[in-house]
Amino acid sequence: MNDSTRFVTFPLGEQHYALDSSQVKELLMPVKVYRFPHTMSSLEGVLVRRGTVIPVCDLRETLGHGPERNFYVIAQCNYLGRREVIAIPVTGDCQLVQGVRGEASGAVEFVAAVLHSGGRTFPLLDLDQIVAHCIQPARGMAREAMR
Amino acid sequence: MAVKELERRSLSIARPLGPAALTAGPVILFTAGGMRFAVAADEVQEVRGGDERTTMRKLKGTELIDFALQVGLGEGILERLLVLKPGECALEVTDVERMASIPKVVSLPGMFRGMERQWYRGLLLLENEVVPLVRTEFWRKAAGQGAGHE
Repeated sequence: MNDSTRFVTFPLGEQHYALDSSQVKELLMPVKVYRFPHTMSSLEGVLVRRGTVIPVCDLRETLGHGPERNFYVIAQCNYLGRREVIAIPVTGDCQLVQGVRGEASGAVEFVAAVLHSGGRTFPLLDLDQIVAHCIQPARGMAREAMR
Repeated sequence: MAVKELERRSLSIARPLGPAALTAGPVILFTAGGMRFAVAADEVQEVRGGDERTTMRKLKGTELIDFALQVGLGEGILERLLVLKPGECALEVTDVERMASIPKVVSLPGMFRGMERQWYRGLLLLENEVVPLVRTEFWRKAAGQGAGHE
């Protein structure tokens, strides 16, 4: 699947974002997140999908949305030069849309471009950049994984 | 709903993120700081009661490690000692639950790249549960460097 005119849009709080559909592997209904002590910021644990362990990356701290979650977007990104798969909790329905990629006006952090679709405009997330920003080892203390 | 469309064309994640870290033999499941962990049974010398702490430390020279504290779960209830082979280090834990055999073990996903890669050998997929498998060599080394709480 490498159709550059297709995108997946999803809400994080009040704001809707988009990812290139080639990055999105699937959508999951809410599933159990397994937590264990670790030191990585923004990783809240893992979920298991067909025997595969997938880290759950919570973007709330960076993009500022509420705790509710309706789906997990399973997406592929590059992290430290390696291709990784992550689960991103999102707060509402996701849509597969067709659209046109445009340049973002000015440099907006974590936004690679804008998507024009159905008369709306969505920030097209730079997933590699946001993941690199969010997922960092905490110094000194383990992350309290028992939220 | 658009989600349905996505589900129809959804791509499976074709291969695991990493190969099986090891083919584990029996493991001992234990709790610490309110969470469950596992340690390979053949790396444990014995299990002792927490009331033997002083004996173990002073008479046998065993270094004690409050496991929950070390992994950031805060000071735990310490009622059992998991003495690691060859006996110079023991993990202080809340309880030893049971043994489990031949669980599936997978590597930690690559995004976990902090101390957890030292703490754990991998993750057990066990009865609809994911349990970190303790890397005993790290804890023995930590004990040798005085990481114990006492």
